[in-house]
Order: sequence, then structure tokens, then C-alpha cells
Amino acid sequence: MMVSKEAAMTTDPAEKRQRPSIVWPILIIFATIFLMGVAAGYLDAMREAGGNAPPTPVVSGAVLLGGGAAMLFYLRRVGNFWSGWSRRKRLYWGCLFAAVLIGALSVIVARSGTDDLSINAILSGALSPTAAVILAALWVLGLTILIPLYERVIDDHERQAYLRAGLASYYVFIIPIPAWWVLHRAGLAPPIDAMLLFLLAFLVNLVVYLWLKFR
Amino acid sequence: MNNKLKVLRAMRNWSQAELADRLDVSRQAVNAIETGKYDPSLPLAFKLARLFAMPIEEIFDDGFEGSSDDN
Repeated sequence: MMVSKEAAMTTDPAEKRQRPSIVWPILIIFATIFLMGVAAGYLDAMREAGGNAPPTPVVSGAVLLGGGAAMLFYLRRVGNFWSGWSRRKRLYWGCLFAAVLIGALSVIVARSGTDDLSINAILSGALSPTAAVILAALWVLGLTILIPLYERVIDDHERQAYLRAGLASYYVFIIPIPAWWVLHRAGLAPPIDAMLLFLLAFLVNLVVYLWLKFR
Repeated sequence: MNNKLKVLRAMRNWSQAELADRLDVSRQAVNAIETGKYDPSLPLAFKLARLFAMPIEEIFDDGFEGSSDDN
């Protein structure tokens, strides 16, 4: 054993602290969103069947209050949940939360003015100029602020996953695009579809990042 | 690269999450270093050395057996 006695004795059992976990807050948030969705769907089904359902915002508000109460209960139980974190960790989770918020706002804006909740309607439905400007601003401003902040607060291990995932998604552009372009020039392929390549690059980025981070 | 991180952590009765908090990195980072899937950067290696009060080369082993004269 190469560990010195002094080094081994640096641990004081009294130092052992109760560590709040991020898992419970994430579970509470997802459970609240899931229950809100289930409640909204159930109420819509009730109305379609001719039943007398309470207004969706009231039920959604009640579920939200329940989720908030569960979160408060957890935060009171673990005490130093937020203040016990380092500045880096607070900024890191703040960035992730802001990114989720931008995503949620984007979906709300993208489907404003329609009752169609399908993915196809959100991705390909008609969009008003106002909604389009808001979405573009959310995407550009949100990412311009969040990405540099995120890159500053991630740890070594995540930075490696992030950079390798970025490189992998870059290859999705530089490898197929020239091949696709020459095939299109020869009339053997349709024109280059930028959105398809974007989604493919995004998927590759996500898979490589998650694999390197959590394998 | 081999390392003794798991042993050192166990001797102090720390969980991966506790060690991660002390290093201000994620638990996944500690796990990846312990399992040899990721070699830490030099600043993080120094941080580990300071935390365990040991030289870096006692925590990490790159498998090189020769002396500096061999270079």
C-alpha cells in the first residue's frame, strides 16, 4: 500500500456531510410537467366526451402548486441545497435550467395559435412573423449568452465530452455535404437539406456527449 | 493510466459524490477517472495531489518503469 499514514488520517468522520442530490429536484420537475400534461389530456378527453370538466388552467395550477410544495419540502429537508454548492456548480445548473426554459418557451411560442400538439405541427406548422422573430431571438440570444457561460463552468471531464461531441457533429457536416453536393450536381440526389443535416448533427452530438459523460 | 483514487477515497470513507464536491467536479468525472476511462488534466491532478497530500506520481501510474537517465 503506497498511502502514508498521515494521508490516511486526514479524514475526519465528523466532516461527513449530508449531500443534497440534484436527482430529486429533477424528478419533481419532470413529474410535475408529466402530471400537467396528463391532466390537460384527460380534461380535453372529458370535454370531447361531453362531460363537464374544470378549466385546464385551474387544474394545471393545482398540479404546479403540488410540485412547488414537493420541491419546497425537499429543499427544507436538505437545508443547504443551493447555498452548499460551489459557484461553478450553481452556474452550471443555472445554465442547464435556462436552456430547458428556452426550449419550453420555444415550444410554447411555436404552437401558439393552434390546438395541434403533434410534433409535426410544432416543427412544420404555419408560423406568424411575430412568433418567428421571437423564436429566432430566443435561439440566437439564448445560445450566444449560455454557450460561453456553460463552457466556462463545466469540469474537465465534461469539457472533453463536449468538445469530442462537437467534433463528431462537425464531421456530420464536412463528410456528407460535399458528397451530397456532387451527387446533386449530377442529378443523382435531391438538393442539400440543411435542416436534415442540422438534426443529424444535433443527434450525433447528443449521443456522443451522453456516451462520453455517462458511460 | 492506472490510479489509486478508489483506494484513497475508500480509506477516507468518501463517496464518489463527496470526493467530487471536494474537487468541485461532477460525480461522473470522479467515476471516469477511477475506472480509467478519463485521464484528468494537470490542474485537476494537482488538485487531487493536494487533497490527498501525496505526490501526483503516487496517485497515478503511467506504467513507465525506467529512470529519468533512460531519456
